[in-house]
Amino acid sequence: MGPREAAETAAALPEVGPDGLVEIGTFLARRWSGRPRATVEFTDRGHARTAPAGNGRIIVPRQGRLRGDGLQKYRQFRASVWRESMRLSLCGRILSDDHAFGFILNAIESRRVEALGRRRWPGMDPELAFSQTCRWMDRPLLGSVYGRARLVEGFYQHFAFGGVKGEAASNQLDRIARASAAASAALGRALDEGLGTEWVEGEVPGIIRTLGIDSLLTVPVALPWSRPALAISADDLRRALPRALRSREGMFGRVDPEEAAGGDAVRPEYEALAGRGGGGGGGGRRGRRAAADAAAGPGGGGGAEAPWITEPQRTDVDETAIYDRDLIAGLKRRFKEWKSGWSEAHVESGGDEFDAEAHVDGHAPFLADSRRSVRARAAILLDHSSSVASVQSEYKKAALALCEVLAYLRVPFSAYAFSTADRAVMCWQVKSGGQRWNSACAKRLAQIQANGSTPLADVYARMMPALGSGGRPDVLLTLTDGEPSDPDAVRSAIRAFRAAGTSMAAIGFGPDTVRATAIASNLKGLGYDRTLAVSRLGDIPGRALAVIGGGGRGR
Amino acid sequence: MSGAGVGEGGAGAAPAPAGYLDWNGAAGLLARAHDAGLFALVIGPKGTGKTTLVREFARARAARLDSINFSLRTRESHLVGSKTLEGGSVGFDEGLLVRSMREGGILYLDEINAAEADVLLRLDEALDDRRQIVLKESDGSTVAAAAGWFVVATINPLTHVGTKELPPQLLSRFPVRIRLEYPPPDAESEIVRRHLAASGAGGIGDADLSRGIELANTLRQAAAVEELEYAPSLRETISYARLVGGGMGAGAAAEAVFGNVYAQWGGLEFQKAADVISSMFGPAGGGGDGGGAA
Repeated sequence: MGPREAAETAAALPEVGPDGLVEIGTFLARRWSGRPRATVEFTDRGHARTAPAGNGRIIVPRQGRLRGDGLQKYRQFRASVWRESMRLSLCGRILSDDHAFGFILNAIESRRVEALGRRRWPGMDPELAFSQTCRWMDRPLLGSVYGRARLVEGFYQHFAFGGVKGEAASNQLDRIARASAAASAALGRALDEGLGTEWVEGEVPGIIRTLGIDSLLTVPVALPWSRPALAISADDLRRALPRALRSREGMFGRVDPEEAAGGDAVRPEYEALAGRGGGGGGGGRRGRRAAADAAAGPGGGGGAEAPWITEPQRTDVDETAIYDRDLIAGLKRRFKEWKSGWSEAHVESGGDEFDAEAHVDGHAPFLADSRRSVRARAAILLDHSSSVASVQSEYKKAALALCEVLAYLRVPFSAYAFSTADRAVMCWQVKSGGQRWNSACAKRLAQIQANGSTPLADVYARMMPALGSGGRPDVLLTLTDGEPSDPDAVRSAIRAFRAAGTSMAAIGFGPDTVRATAIASNLKGLGYDRTLAVSRLGDIPGRALAVIGGGGRGR
Repeated sequence: MSGAGVGEGGAGAAPAPAGYLDWNGAAGLLARAHDAGLFALVIGPKGTGKTTLVREFARARAARLDSINFSLRTRESHLVGSKTLEGGSVGFDEGLLVRSMREGGILYLDEINAAEADVLLRLDEALDDRRQIVLKESDGSTVAAAAGWFVVATINPLTHVGTKELPPQLLSRFPVRIRLEYPPPDAESEIVRRHLAASGAGGIGDADLSRGIELANTLRQAAAVEELEYAPSLRETISYARLVGGGMGAGAAAEAVFGNVYAQWGGLEFQKAADVISSMFGPAGGGGDGGGAA
């Protein structure tokens, strides 16, 4: 593909949506950093960084804040995640960028971890060169930075890029150059002698003295979005690349400018992400709007793109806290035959042993294949009322295990939850029907806080039009631990769903058998097609799968 | 024939094994089990050297090794034997289990938890303390195992398709249980080098080999937390090394061996693995120090 064609393809694709970015970003951050609980979140303020406190929170600018086309934005995102993953992996200490001391330490550490990380991940070179160029283009002119912050900005540019943008007084430039030389010397020694963050930190006061600033000087937020959404042309890149890489001649010496500009290594990945369901698995706002407009979506209750159903927005949630690997593995073992869709069994009439004579006489095979798979489209509604609060961790683990196994079995499904936030009933969309189950969905589930009553009828009323917009589900399974606050309205809603062709099922769970049975009895009186009682939360997925596997209608 | 056994005819007839690196003491434990007359069960995911361990052990003891690969289609007749009709007379072809018992060698039951329960229960008869089996399919005679008869079985984790839990009574016939996991990088590197030396393949540079092993481990970690569908085994690392030793670029070999397999789970799954590979080796086909002798 030539550069022009490649550029046209990239331009034709939508940007990767937040879900897609969260999924791939989290995956890569965890692989690159070796930290299995690292998370990626987005910000409107500031540059890419790692939160000083927290269990591996990588913060990157939103795509809308970056310049370039979709591919260029994605490449900047990816390189930022890599750099911060290296910081997570290799830095002994991460300070805030808000003050001069932390800013300078982090600047030196950025280059140190970049150099160390490249030894393990040398394939990142073209991407880092591209990212370095974009960062250079985003830096402000020194003349536009006022006060002593100009010295810090000048130091950063000189140290990171080997030169400064704009002009400054000669005495300032002299101090900047000397501080940058001292930082480079410290960096060289740290790399040569394998010295860590603690040693580098000891060098920072000397650099601050050279600059003649206070170590607690507030550093203004750097604005990487000085020209957001402005495309970066190949000529821009060609011009900026040599200047951005002045300080890295030894490091990026082998990088081909054309390769760095083209991003061929990342292009297939970007196309796969951006082309999937209109910008990241239906997760992007644009993608979802398009899906709603088209009123189409394959299976599982369709795209519930209604304003009264919202998506939890936080991405800095550690979804691994609600993963019960043993429960998931056990369920997968139990239902693995449903995955292939075929199960083999010995024909009972054939007896235990293959008998040659019987085989010849009866022409009966001693093995038979039978089709076994889930054909129902399912929608799951999770009660997050306040009564769940005390067990919400276990409850979420069970619900997540159910979703994981449904995804494993390739059952088309959608998942919703309801709770009360700010005294208003909220119906949350955890996963829409056309979307692929991924870590972004798990993050949505993890952040829903159990609160409020059980206004089932209100929730059903909100779900009815949403579920109808793109292929009505065959079965709607409600998991609840309490009596609905409006039983008559619930009865009416259930009748409406059933009339529309959706089989209604409910699982009532309680702390013990007596309570669970009582809840299930109440639910039964509401007119559900199937009602089950569960007293152990870990049993929920197995029961739910039995309902979905056996209770749904074939398409 | 599905589930057919393979007699390897002792040390001389067996293909020369690459030499087992006993990095976790598994071979030593197996030898102790053998000397104590206790049957052993080797548990571990695919491609961790279970078969190599048993082959190497048989070679070291100069013992005849009979192997049966179990599957759902393995039947009792494969183990015990079946009637034949030749020249108007009914005969009986003994199965591998019976032959191995008579000869007193080592019987290797590979992936035993892939078999149906009724087959396993018939096997159970031969594995109890009496070490004998009644040939009800033939003349009803009793075959007792020769002195020194030793049985090693392997099972894959239950997450593997086609596996099922072993009945507890059969599990108890294998009182020595040996766990095999993927080896640490140094051991894996040594294992790969031994395989290359045994197969006469070209050498591989240290940097390329350690990068391939590091990639395999990264993908295994992702699979362990279910962020990827598949974990590469030692076989993949060895295959990668052989391709690179044969002159292929490390990046291209990594993509062919480690990356492309994920395409079957969809574009995103493939891209996740491809991204890890490209950040390690550069764009497809690139990277590597060009194979050559270490």
